[in-house]
Amino acid sequence: MNGALLVCKKEFLELSKDRRTVFFTFLLPLVLYPLLFAMVGGLSRTDEANRQGRASRVVLVDPGGVLTSALKAEPESFELVAPPAGDLRQAIRDQRLEMKIQVEADAPLKLSRHRTFTVTAACDPSEEASGLALTRLRKILEKQNRRWVEERLRLAGVSPELDRPSRLETQEMGDLGLKVGRTLGAFLPYLLMLMMFAGSMQHGIYATAGEKERGTLLSLLSTRLPRHQIIWGKLLYVFAVGLLSAFINLLSMGVSIGSVVRAGAEGQAMSAGSLADLARPSTLGLTFLLMAPLGLLFANFIVMMGIRARNSVEAGTSIMPGMVVVLVMAVFSMAPGLEKLAFLPYVPILNVSLAIRKLFSQQGNAFEFWVALLMTLGLAAVMTWLSTRLLNRETSVFTV
Amino acid sequence: MIELAEVYKGFTVRDRKTRQKKRIEAVRGVSFSVHPGEIYGLLGPNGAGKSTTLRLIAGLMQAERGLIRVGGFDAGREPEAARACVGYLSGDLNVYGRFTPREFLRLFGQFQGMQARVAEGRALALLERLGLLDFMDVRMEGFSTGQKQKVSVARALLHDPRVVVFDEPTTGLDVLTAKTVLDLLRELRAEGRAVIVSTHVMPMVEDICDRVGILFDGVLYGDAPLDQLLAARHARNLDEVFFQLAGEA
Repeated sequence: MNGALLVCKKEFLELSKDRRTVFFTFLLPLVLYPLLFAMVGGLSRTDEANRQGRASRVVLVDPGGVLTSALKAEPESFELVAPPAGDLRQAIRDQRLEMKIQVEADAPLKLSRHRTFTVTAACDPSEEASGLALTRLRKILEKQNRRWVEERLRLAGVSPELDRPSRLETQEMGDLGLKVGRTLGAFLPYLLMLMMFAGSMQHGIYATAGEKERGTLLSLLSTRLPRHQIIWGKLLYVFAVGLLSAFINLLSMGVSIGSVVRAGAEGQAMSAGSLADLARPSTLGLTFLLMAPLGLLFANFIVMMGIRARNSVEAGTSIMPGMVVVLVMAVFSMAPGLEKLAFLPYVPILNVSLAIRKLFSQQGNAFEFWVALLMTLGLAAVMTWLSTRLLNRETSVFTV
Repeated sequence: MIELAEVYKGFTVRDRKTRQKKRIEAVRGVSFSVHPGEIYGLLGPNGAGKSTTLRLIAGLMQAERGLIRVGGFDAGREPEAARACVGYLSGDLNVYGRFTPREFLRLFGQFQGMQARVAEGRALALLERLGLLDFMDVRMEGFSTGQKQKVSVARALLHDPRVVVFDEPTTGLDVLTAKTVLDLLRELRAEGRAVIVSTHVMPMVEDICDRVGILFDGVLYGDAPLDQLLAARHARNLDEVFFQLAGEA
């Protein structure tokens, strides 16, 4: 095992000498995601604040004056402007105003006779500002309608609750912590798999096909190190880089989207217990326990393909389909209702996703967990054996 | 120290035109031995089986038939022990460009089971002998072919091997660097190591080799001290012997 550790150390030393690769693999994600999220979040917040903070400019044609006072009473929502010169449609498109409101001329008469009058709103909902003006108008009309109905009922000497026989009150029994857990459980395996595979792929190619290409593999093979220790060292390296890469990416992403989740959590019920369950060391530990053999399986696949390939390009093109398979399976694993499929615990990779999903939604199933773990471990062991055999094949090392 | 008895090695390749598998016998019943304090020159045209023979001795390949003993170990049954006795160098081998010679040699010393400190001490001595001491802390990616070859020579000799296997050690080297390598080979012989060298450079063989073997299509011809070979063939130099054997083969 000492030889394997030495080979792994050599790979890490070699990696550490390439500052650019170290930066792009381990440091850039730490900077990139927070920057990206901060930039996008900042822009969207500024835009939202601009839209929400500005009154919608509307042209109001209300000969009877039934809505004028209501709109004027909310200056933060509506700014009454003069009709534009020229085409109204173009004026909305040019963002000179958001909407034109036309109230029927005989609205006061219809109102007094307890009949319905029409309010026509000319707007372009595809423009966000125009859509917001429409929402604001709907709200104000709803309030105004309620007031008129209550007035009519009062005049008729009837209870104002006549038109409201029942009222629905909802009590939120769910827990935001659990909700977050379910969402996280669905996305986490996908992200982990993808990052582990993508993060280790290039390093695996460099350490295998790259060594062959550069003519350094033979130097390594000519030492007294047993072949299996050389391959284990390379596996350990690819595996460790994959895990590190996934961890760093997730950490950075987690920190970046943490603020978004926190903002969404405001005012919602989230028990301290379920949040603690999410971050419970056992949940995280069991997730790691499941992901580790999967990472080893990926590392084995990459190393095996890398050793079999004659050069880096060939290695890259033969590993890529494997990445697509992982990607498709990972996307499939996010599908809702997937956990109901009875055969799923026996499908490699997918069973790991399912088990992690259940861990995070606090529906952990010991049988499914062990099946996923043992199956992935078994596959990783078989792949390790195959990789070792492959390195022992002279045709894998020498071009005849 | 090196002993080959009736060694066979072949490869299966696929003919690109016919898509048929074809068997190539690279080494056919080769037997010879190299004793301590002796330099054995292995000659032959391209594709004659020289590199395969040396790779078999270095434990990088396994013979299909026959016996190979290196430093007293059966290379087929105890490949790791046999490899530990061998210092192998080939023109195909390269160095890790991102490392400095010091780092590279320290690491390879550890691969050979040496303590890092011991490996570094031995590395410095070898680098000094090869005239590379000033470059021991410079990354090797900018090194010339000669400098890289010198580091490879140091790598091959780092663990003080009893058997030295050099496959075309002077190919691509300038005259001065080639001389450094040849002088080193003489020193290794003087130290009592068994040295085997493959090359195309006949004057080099005449200059340093004690015994010579010539391979044609995997079959060994000659295998005798240089003067005996010349006398038996009534030849003035090795070139003549080579062409005579090529005609017979």
